[in-house]
Amino acid sequence: MANWKRRLLVGTLALLASASWAQAKTVCYVTAADAHAYATPANEALEARAKELGIEMITLSQNFDVQTGTEQLGTCIARSVDGIILWPLDPQAYIPGLARAQQAGIPAILINSPMDSQANQFIKSFTGPDVYEEGEMAADSLNGALGGEGSVIIIAGQAGNGTTIGRVGGFVDRLAEIGSKVEVLDTVNADFDQQKALVVSRDLITRFGDKIDGVYANDDTMARGFIDAWKEANPGKPTPPIVGINGQKDAFASIKSGEMHSTIVQSPVEDGRLAIETIAEILDGKEVEARRPIPLTVVTSENVDSVEPAF
Amino acid sequence: MNLGATIVRFRVAVILGLTLLCASLLVPGFLGATTLSLGLDRGATVGLIAIGMTVLLIARQIDLSVGSTFALAGIVAVMLQPSLGIWPAAMAGLIAGAAAGAINGLLVVTFKVNPLVATLATMLIFRSAAHWLTDSQPVPGTDIMLSVSLSKIHLGIFTLRSALFIGAVLLLHVWLTRTVAGRNLFAVGSNAEAAKASGISPGRTVFLGFIFAGLFAGLAGVLQSLTTNTGSPVFGSELLVAVIAAVVVGGTRIEGGRGSALGTLGGVLTIASLTTAMEFQSVPAYVQQVVAGCILILLVVLDRTVRPGPRSHAATGGTH
Repeated sequence: MANWKRRLLVGTLALLASASWAQAKTVCYVTAADAHAYATPANEALEARAKELGIEMITLSQNFDVQTGTEQLGTCIARSVDGIILWPLDPQAYIPGLARAQQAGIPAILINSPMDSQANQFIKSFTGPDVYEEGEMAADSLNGALGGEGSVIIIAGQAGNGTTIGRVGGFVDRLAEIGSKVEVLDTVNADFDQQKALVVSRDLITRFGDKIDGVYANDDTMARGFIDAWKEANPGKPTPPIVGINGQKDAFASIKSGEMHSTIVQSPVEDGRLAIETIAEILDGKEVEARRPIPLTVVTSENVDSVEPAF
Repeated sequence: MNLGATIVRFRVAVILGLTLLCASLLVPGFLGATTLSLGLDRGATVGLIAIGMTVLLIARQIDLSVGSTFALAGIVAVMLQPSLGIWPAAMAGLIAGAAAGAINGLLVVTFKVNPLVATLATMLIFRSAAHWLTDSQPVPGTDIMLSVSLSKIHLGIFTLRSALFIGAVLLLHVWLTRTVAGRNLFAVGSNAEAAKASGISPGRTVFLGFIFAGLFAGLAGVLQSLTTNTGSPVFGSELLVAVIAAVVVGGTRIEGGRGSALGTLGGVLTIASLTTAMEFQSVPAYVQQVVAGCILILLVVLDRTVRPGPRSHAATGGTH
């Protein structure tokens, strides 16, 4: 009687052991969204590269809701994955989750957006564009287009999002640093959403009218929203210089047609790929740099034909 | 018929059981303590708000502003930390939640505004106030280590938040089924005129119900802010639908007069375990919502087509 019980136990243990031996490394990826112009190609590139590297992925989408994301971090930890890639949408809120991951011995990295420096002790690396530098590059570009003076509006992304903070901060700081006479009339949040950008742009155009000499949009999607609002309000009138970020195909078209002044190419494919490659190196036991940026290129009418759009 | 009636009577428990069963078969280790504590913790935020919503729905009221109250109370609790200290600031957050509920109650009871309209308006107002207070930026708290310790798991399964939720839901159950005030709530929800005739004040009951709902939305918001060390104006923008779904899955009727605390507990746990199970399997977010929606419809249709026997009333929370 006791004998078959013991046999059963041994068999079960052996089964469990073999199951865990055979298992590939699993990485949990908490992404910003699963249907979004930038996030989708980044997710796809990340997952495709994971497949090549033989890493199993659990992809969870926050749909731009921070609270969902903090809960999903918990799911990753409960699932005892081997590594976590987090796309943070808030500079602070994920810290307790990251701390728990660290207690559980799960290495975590950030993709795309930065968090506050307090998060640094809980992450191994942060891969993705330097959004502050993008803001600075955008400031140089718009300042140049305006000849160093004029009034501009900023159409910013989601409030509190690290990308928004960096892109707006870099822009404003750079203008002050180079002693530009470009003045910011107003900064409004349009959540990286074309429709919201259209609505806020209508208001801004009504409020400031001809005072708008230039526009800085935190991404090309929102720049598109402004262009549409401008065309509604001022049919036939050329748009003021508009600077966007991301380097989307339609922004390239707008630069060619003269509706936009410039954009900054930031490739979601490289963004996604760099993150999974970095976590793969960590899983292999290698040391990685705390910061791994992806390359950035300013695109204007001068080089629009020679640069590939990001997506 | 007897079996059918039993299934319908305990439909929430049946669905929850089926969910757990499927999840444990599909997801290895789903019934482990870590996963359960995680499921409980993520259910707790929705659950705490659902407690207030259950009371309001029974009284034939609704509060659409709970998500905004959640954000506002959390922001108050974090913004006041430097001047008041952490715990008094948390208290202030709770008071802010109750005050938001009192405003809703005032609009509905004194000014006779339809609760749907009144709380739709305050939903927008509280959300905008949250943005205005914070300049649309998340506000960091003073002590990140507190957040880390608050999300610790006790007795192998409970976080502070989930223990509070379970405790509150059990208290609500006792209150609804064993006290005169609880029974009066059902009376107000099913027929306010008749309740008035029998000496109950519907206005007072509804007003207190709104304060109660605001207080619990505030409590959930304060806990969220403390565990994330952040007060953010965008917190809770996705909560409302989940809360109403959890309460309705639990068998509480939007038409008022019927509902139960244990049903809400079941509804919250069902939705939390569904979400967790599907996340474990990497099911895309939109598919998850389709599944949750289908379960909601299934339960409500079951509720309508098969009438439970007369004896089931008390156990499911008093129906008349």
